[in-house]
Amino acid sequence: MKFQGYFVEDIPRRKFLELSLKGGVALAATPALLRSLLAGDTASRPKVDLEDLNRVIRHALSQGGEFGEVYIEHRISRTILLEEGKFKSAVFGISQGAGVRVLSGDKTGYAYTDEISQEKLIRAAEVASFVARGAKTVKPVNIKVDSRPSYITVKVPLQTVADEKRLEIMKRAHDAALAYDARIKMASINYYDEVRSRVIANSEGLYLTDDLPLLFFIVQTLGVGSNTSHMGRERLSRHSGIEMFDELKPEDAARTCARESIVMLEAKDAPAGKMDVVMQNGWGGVLVHEAVGHPLEGDNIARETGVFVGKLGKKVASDKFTMVDDGTLPCFRGTTNYDDEGTQMKRSVLIQDGVLVKFMTDILSAKQLKMERTGNGRRESFRNFPIVRMTNTFIDRGKDNPDDILASTKSGLYVQSLSGGSVNPTTGVFNFTCREVYLIENGRKTTPVKGATLIGSCLDVIQGIDAVGDDLDFGPGICGKGQAAEVAAGQPTVRIRGINVGGSRAR
Amino acid sequence: MDYKGLAEQLVKKCLKKGADAAEVYIENGRNLSLEVRKGEVETVEEAASYGAGFRVFLKGKMAFASSNDLGERALEEAIGRAIEFAKITTPDPNNVLPDDMGMTEIAGLYDPQIAQIPMEQKIDLAKKIEQLAMKDSRITKSDGARYGEAEGEVVIASSNGLVKSYRSSACSLGVSVVAEKGDQKSSGGEFCGARSYKDLKPAEEVAAKAARDAYEMLDPRPVKTQKAAVIFHTDVGYALLGGILGAVNGERVLQGASFLGKMMGRKIGSELVTLVDDGTLEKGVASEPFDGEGVSTQKRLIVEKGLLKGFMYNTIVAKRAGVRSTGNASRGGFTSLPGIGPHQFYLAAGQVKPDDIIKATKIGLLVKEVTGYGINPVNGNFSGGASGFWVEDGRIAFPVKGLTIAGTADEMLNGIEMVADDLDLSKRMAAPTFRIKLLQIGGE
Repeated sequence: MKFQGYFVEDIPRRKFLELSLKGGVALAATPALLRSLLAGDTASRPKVDLEDLNRVIRHALSQGGEFGEVYIEHRISRTILLEEGKFKSAVFGISQGAGVRVLSGDKTGYAYTDEISQEKLIRAAEVASFVARGAKTVKPVNIKVDSRPSYITVKVPLQTVADEKRLEIMKRAHDAALAYDARIKMASINYYDEVRSRVIANSEGLYLTDDLPLLFFIVQTLGVGSNTSHMGRERLSRHSGIEMFDELKPEDAARTCARESIVMLEAKDAPAGKMDVVMQNGWGGVLVHEAVGHPLEGDNIARETGVFVGKLGKKVASDKFTMVDDGTLPCFRGTTNYDDEGTQMKRSVLIQDGVLVKFMTDILSAKQLKMERTGNGRRESFRNFPIVRMTNTFIDRGKDNPDDILASTKSGLYVQSLSGGSVNPTTGVFNFTCREVYLIENGRKTTPVKGATLIGSCLDVIQGIDAVGDDLDFGPGICGKGQAAEVAAGQPTVRIRGINVGGSRAR
Repeated sequence: MDYKGLAEQLVKKCLKKGADAAEVYIENGRNLSLEVRKGEVETVEEAASYGAGFRVFLKGKMAFASSNDLGERALEEAIGRAIEFAKITTPDPNNVLPDDMGMTEIAGLYDPQIAQIPMEQKIDLAKKIEQLAMKDSRITKSDGARYGEAEGEVVIASSNGLVKSYRSSACSLGVSVVAEKGDQKSSGGEFCGARSYKDLKPAEEVAAKAARDAYEMLDPRPVKTQKAAVIFHTDVGYALLGGILGAVNGERVLQGASFLGKMMGRKIGSELVTLVDDGTLEKGVASEPFDGEGVSTQKRLIVEKGLLKGFMYNTIVAKRAGVRSTGNASRGGFTSLPGIGPHQFYLAAGQVKPDDIIKATKIGLLVKEVTGYGINPVNGNFSGGASGFWVEDGRIAFPVKGLTIAGTADEMLNGIEMVADDLDLSKRMAAPTFRIKLLQIGGE
């Protein structure tokens, strides 16, 4: 059995030009047509033999175990770097492989192979079955083709886009950044796109396939002042076709980035110690992603190590605090149609008006905790087995006016954007590095200050949120937990009382 | 499989398809990782994998493609993609491949015995370290013990006639535990890595460290926001080294994006600051006979007694700067172009004992954990979260958590006034215990 030919192939550039001449690109607007077009491109496209996959799953459970799974992946990616005015490099990636997983009690066995053949899959199934030796087993259900609703729409598929179009988008961002201010001495534009095709088949009889496009566009600009420099950053990302750039303009991203680089050249030393912090809407939501989201992941709850163990149904945060993980937001960076275990994506309210109501789970932790599957089983690639991960995670919209939140804060810090941070899920202690931050003096945003660290503990911070705005917004990012995952984080403007700020001067 | 032969053959194929110059980078290997919790195996993961990366040059333009399908059709496809892709990049006379035919001799990078040790023995080792870490009554929960191993081969061939390969192996062992007291939770973890199974640190030592890191942080007390001496424990040297690494990256220097860019040959730290990058250490966890594009590795002084001595370069950036590659081409695997990175990067050991530093400190913070991004390589600003111990009158007084420390690279490097002799090179970035005269500490 060879699956290689099965996957939708990327159209070579020459082929693209032919297609566009015939109006093929316009036709390609509907995925079904695209598929048939592409199928024409690979005339010999064989069908996956479901019975072959059944055999692998049966083999995986032959020693014991209650869940067996085959995951097959194929990924085409492009990375182009425009920096210092030059298209410095272009990187094309072809990656494929398959993983076989066996769950038995609390145990996971996993093996993967780059070569997708019946022989290698059977071998992987043998290795994965090691953990289940002697355990009780289930009889796998024969797989049957299934489908899920789609939250990702594509108008102009990435496979059909000529490289010239990609370069043009990058150049627009590069030029806009340099034109913003003479003190912008360098712009770095990183363009990434991929199409990831998945096949998921398991012993519960599930069989799903889809193709997920992804765009990730990173602008960095270097502002150079008389005695300091600052590197700004702005990112755009969606699961989408190239039409993303019609809505999220590369020039706007570049100007936002350049503005940060210039403003921060005037930054003074940040104060140190505890103070009130107002966080602007958007990517700042990464603070609750880290501080609250990770501790709400079912794996550390099942291990009974997490800070929220035993707190389900209890009041953990201020009344104004509602937190949601929603993998169904159309085309968002954290969205997929179903997670990497095939579970339908959902909107999960995790904390409602301060009360902890739900944990995020994958198949294993849902079973361990006897809770529903929330569609949070994700993996970086076929080289990893799925673990509990967030999707698009945010503080839900509140009722306060963002301007009033600032105006009613006598002194403190206004955090316009954060770089990122991390949390210890056991203790709930988190840290964040600010990108763009200002002093608040008498209810007004005043002097920019150097990127300070914010630290605190999860429970303190969610109990200390006393104002939540009505201006919910999001930003894209990468979440690391041994494996990388694409996520979005969001929040309206919020105020947190008494966070420890790592500035370099005493107040 | 003869990967060297395959690599040479693929270089020819790149040239035949139209490249002026080409490099083929092949990796193949296998890995095993397992995790034990509460005395039971929780995960076992095993795989063998491989892949090839093609860097092609076309009239000074450069592009790259990779494939982990080594079938003939897929390789043809990848090479074709690389050549097509090269047409869209900007030509640059600095886009060249290295012609270094040499290789640094380094003993002890590969231990063929690892694969021969039965799986049961490795599982038992992980079970043992977990048990040892749970021994102390203050430790209430296990967050798992892990054993991992990997071995593989790197092959590089290029149209400059270079053909090189080497094998290496690595093992790691670690454990994480939680100490609880009332509502308090404190976590601790430790791991060690080595080229060979038999060179792993004793399980007793690693387990004891993990447990101690957890329980000794119970009952922390608050301290006031103030300026005081800060002692960096050997666990947190990376907080100082990471940002410097970014700032000695030759490409960032050329771009004007390094706070050290104009400091070559000048004083950037106290006399006690000597920073070394060593790719040649026997059995070294970061050693390799040649870098990510085939240039022989070296041991270099980056900072000597406070004077900045060298930046790090790969071949292309070195040519642009008008110098020779320093053997610092780093590669994130067969899927990426060579960047610039360190080998073993460390602050050289001093003379005093770590205890002497504490004894000599009237008031200060001994940091055992630093969070955040470390020193910003662009402007040298530093701010991080910190936990550790408060030191009073030359003795450890009590644990502290939730503090911040901040300053600039200049204050930190020039403020280093004591360096201990406890350098441990089992981690890629390492520093002995050292004390910085004065940093801003944020607390109550």
